[in-house]
Amino acid sequence: MKNDKLKMQKEGTGTAHYVVVKPGMTPKEIVTSIRSNSKVFLTSTGMRDAGQSDFKNRHRIYDLATLAPYYNNMGLFSAECHGGARWHVGVMNRKESPFEEIELLREIMPDVLLQTLIRETNLWGYRPYPKNVIEYVVSRIDIDVWRCFSFLNDVRNMRSVAEVVMKRGRLFQPSISFTDADWATNEYYLGVVRDIVNLCGGVDEIIVCIKDMAGVGSVKRIGTLVDTIKQAYPEMVIQYHRHITDGLAMPALLAAAEAGVKIFDVEEDSLVRFYGEAPILGVQAYFEESGIAVHVNRNAAEAAVQKVREWIGHYEWAESPFKGYDHTVTFHKMPGGAFPSSFEQAEQGEFLHFMPAILKVMSLYNRIIHYFDVTPGSQITWVTCSGIVNGYAKERGESGVDHLIELLTKFIDEKYLDLEAMEKEDQEEILGLFRNVPGDFKNLLIGNYGNLPMGWPPDWVYRSAFGKEWEDRLKERKVLSPLDMLEDDDLVKLRKDLSEAIGRTPSEEEFILYLMHPKDALQFIEFREKYGEAPLVLPTDVWREGLRKPGDRVEFELWGKPYCIELVSIGGEHEGVIHVVMKVNSKTRVYTVETPRAKKVDIRMAKGPGDIPAPIKGNVWRIGNPERGTLKAGDIVHKGEEIANIEAMKMENAIEAPFDGQIKEVCVKLNDFVSEGQLLFVLEEL
Amino acid sequence: MGKKINKLLVANRGVPAVRVMHTCRDRKIRTAAVYSTPDRLAHHVFMADSAVHIGEAPPVESYLNMEHMINAALQTGSDAVHPGWGFLAENEKFARMVMDAGLTWIGPPPEVIRLMGDKIQAKKIAKRANVPTIPGIIDVKDIKEIKKWLRKENVEFPIMIKAAAGGGGRGMVKVESEEELATAFSQAKSESMRAFGDDTILVEKYIEFGRHIEVQVVADEHGNIVHLFERECTIQRRNQKIIEEAPSPTLNENLRNEICFTAVRLMREMGYRSAGTVEFIFDTSTRKFYFLEVNTRLQVEHGITELITGLDIVSIMLDVAAGKKLPFRQPDIHPNRWALEVRLNAEDPKTFSPSFGTITRLQVPQGPNVRVSSGVYEGDDVPPYYDSLFMLLMTAGADRADAIRVMDRALGRNLRVEGIKTLQPLLLSIIRHPAFIAGEFSTRFLEEHHDELVSMFKEKDSEDEVLKIAKYVAEISALGPQGWM
Repeated sequence: MKNDKLKMQKEGTGTAHYVVVKPGMTPKEIVTSIRSNSKVFLTSTGMRDAGQSDFKNRHRIYDLATLAPYYNNMGLFSAECHGGARWHVGVMNRKESPFEEIELLREIMPDVLLQTLIRETNLWGYRPYPKNVIEYVVSRIDIDVWRCFSFLNDVRNMRSVAEVVMKRGRLFQPSISFTDADWATNEYYLGVVRDIVNLCGGVDEIIVCIKDMAGVGSVKRIGTLVDTIKQAYPEMVIQYHRHITDGLAMPALLAAAEAGVKIFDVEEDSLVRFYGEAPILGVQAYFEESGIAVHVNRNAAEAAVQKVREWIGHYEWAESPFKGYDHTVTFHKMPGGAFPSSFEQAEQGEFLHFMPAILKVMSLYNRIIHYFDVTPGSQITWVTCSGIVNGYAKERGESGVDHLIELLTKFIDEKYLDLEAMEKEDQEEILGLFRNVPGDFKNLLIGNYGNLPMGWPPDWVYRSAFGKEWEDRLKERKVLSPLDMLEDDDLVKLRKDLSEAIGRTPSEEEFILYLMHPKDALQFIEFREKYGEAPLVLPTDVWREGLRKPGDRVEFELWGKPYCIELVSIGGEHEGVIHVVMKVNSKTRVYTVETPRAKKVDIRMAKGPGDIPAPIKGNVWRIGNPERGTLKAGDIVHKGEEIANIEAMKMENAIEAPFDGQIKEVCVKLNDFVSEGQLLFVLEEL
Repeated sequence: MGKKINKLLVANRGVPAVRVMHTCRDRKIRTAAVYSTPDRLAHHVFMADSAVHIGEAPPVESYLNMEHMINAALQTGSDAVHPGWGFLAENEKFARMVMDAGLTWIGPPPEVIRLMGDKIQAKKIAKRANVPTIPGIIDVKDIKEIKKWLRKENVEFPIMIKAAAGGGGRGMVKVESEEELATAFSQAKSESMRAFGDDTILVEKYIEFGRHIEVQVVADEHGNIVHLFERECTIQRRNQKIIEEAPSPTLNENLRNEICFTAVRLMREMGYRSAGTVEFIFDTSTRKFYFLEVNTRLQVEHGITELITGLDIVSIMLDVAAGKKLPFRQPDIHPNRWALEVRLNAEDPKTFSPSFGTITRLQVPQGPNVRVSSGVYEGDDVPPYYDSLFMLLMTAGADRADAIRVMDRALGRNLRVEGIKTLQPLLLSIIRHPAFIAGEFSTRFLEEHHDELVSMFKEKDSEDEVLKIAKYVAEISALGPQGWM
């Protein structure tokens, strides 16, 4: 790996020095450098949001790292390479940890600011974390630029992240979640910006981001918004994050630049599909032609665009089945980052054909309840709306879905959300709308995520979601930020839980992964104990498909030494087992691979408190003890009494009753060969 | 007598069988192996010139079945039987049966085996020969007797309950307190009955911080008895040795002479013949040694004595059994090395629970000053029915530091065993532990340092890591893209 990295660094193009901002600079130095520079700057999202928007976040660091040498002298403001859903998908699907990614990128592109995207109290998960977890985690992640957003624009929720980041001397980039709707006025956003400035003590140590995550800001609108902010805060450095979904990104970016935005999110042209950011080379050319100078090493950018083409073909399988731009995004607001995963779920759930209807219902839904469709809000919207549509489809078929859309359209467009104005029958139906909503929707309604940007939804929404208890739940509604409500987690206990689950002391990184997503982190750790660094060293075709035919080989370096795995043969399946013969560094090895049809011998393992496990694997040569003879179900045993004996390699191991009890069940037979942890007895305490 | 040995039946399996056969190869003596059903393809079977199936997996049906063993010797035309260690090695009845069948028994006279096999008798003989013994009581019938002795002699816990017929660490239970006494007593009795068919028990004071030192002796039937100096076997787990060395780092010249000649005196007293070992426990605090027992057989750790003396003890046993005189006298023996041995058991290095299965890959250490005594080959199975020892690894050097350094290389760099868990990581941690290197340890070393030793296990090794990657490639190659991707 090391040699590869050195080679990669050399490949970075050009000798001229393009680096303006780099790790180690204080936030103030960074802000001043950008502000005083006459050119505009670019952030590449090629290592995070590009993949999240169009490739389900499946781009592996193995491939992304090939761009790093070009990034190192591209003159980027930053490389967004971390956060959002990339963390969770890395742990679940790519089996890479965000820590490994940072370590690798720091080594290959030491001069580039690494950027993350963090969801205020929800960090990189989908629920609010308590303050002590936020502080613990944020203070231990080596990231330079912290873009932080709230799907409610509830700036109070950003406080802990802001404090830790600014105290560490890293750059905090608070964001306003932007959508284009009648209620989301420029004055409203200026209010959010004001809250941010108050939180961060001015504009000199932060860069503020306008996060247009669905790509819905019209060309005119975005210009006036930036103008409104710049008039109030002329010294503020603004970055514009905009998805291209509506097909109007290029002119919108230019309008923003002309209104005073200094930094723009772009991605490699060869990564661009339909839901990510604008192409770097196109933006550079369009801006320059329009008289806006762009700070970028064009040669390096071109080389990176070319490099992508070497591996992007391996990810075709991950692309969204919903192709093409979609200007109706300005109604349904599904953010670019949620597009591929939503379609993936629709495909797996076999309701892909209802997607147009779901998107339509989403556009109606977000006129009833106002927040921003970005994580976790976008998930709440998606699960709620797809659930409603699927419910109608299940009960009343396609005509039911049409009826739903008609009903809601009437309710919103004709009756202006006045429930009383609807006919009695329709009223009943609307009150049934949120009957089966997910728990997160209910949490949102009772203020567990924070305050909603336009105030709480009307009472009928509560009646619909909570039924008879709606008034009680309404009373419980919270007005405080989750930061001030949630009790601290017991970190000592959580670390102990993790140690017990994995049977050893976890590393600091493993513990943080566990804090974020406990179940998935455990699976990740288990996977990596089994398969080591396979996710990091294997090329993507081998990672996904393995070696296809005899003679195919994969070469890689591990810890400074060369290795080669060559396929000799794959046997036929026999009783759920396939034998694979491979040469590993010229030594032939046979691997027995179980297929999903492999016969699993069902061993009952001890689980409950009265379950007595086998302490070791071995032969149960005695059930009972010499004094009492064989024990059977119903017998009473006393604490410390030997109830069975297991022999392994000539050593006797007495199994003693852990308490006074009655034997409910003897789960093994004499002379059974048992595994470690296998259930021997069920004992009931007396 | 002048009996000539043309073909030797090795009444054993695994490491001891292979070891004995190596010397037979040197001596151009043909060998016959015996095997139980699961051992049909075992290493020792292929080492031999012919092999006989002697029964099913349980030892009582095969390797402890004396009739089958004698039949096998006769059937293969063998004229002598070497029992190795374990199984029938210290079985007086078997020795007699071998001789009654007109075959040469490679070992001490049956009468000596009988006397020394009974710990109570052995203790009596030791006392007669003026050899210091551990305070204790013999032929214990119940725990009342033990309690009485504790009171009368003012003995404090811990104490040791031992099977009179026991050996090799089996049938020994350490008791820490009065509460444990009943369970420990019945466990010792039961284990003793199952393992040795006899449940006579003796109880002794437990020597805390003791060191285990033993003297290798060889004797012929012409009255010559020579010691081959001592070995120290203090590093034990569950009373079973796992690291041995020669000479002992504990003794000075005076003590060394004293302990060696005490051993010779005892062996002379009982009329010993062939190779045998006198075991002592050395009390570090008082610098006194006490007699433990005599092992009337070839011992697992004999190899390190061979390394420091240049002799072949199995070969000596063959010669002595054939009636020859020892070819040397005491002044001819000049140890000039330091040797170290580790026992590679198929066990989990953290918990010591047995780990059997197929040895899918075996890479044996090489390089200067390494001796490997293996009972298995690559692809072999380690069955669950027998001893977990599958390989001995010995190293030698000009001094102790040298021997340890070579062992570090052999264990840490050369040896690779895949498919089963072994004590390798634990053994490596031990020889790297400062207390071991300083020579400051007792039989409780492992209990005292267990967690520390486990924490010294090397986390990862690139060889292991690449195999994990290969496993992944194999699975995906066979199964294609996975749903979780």
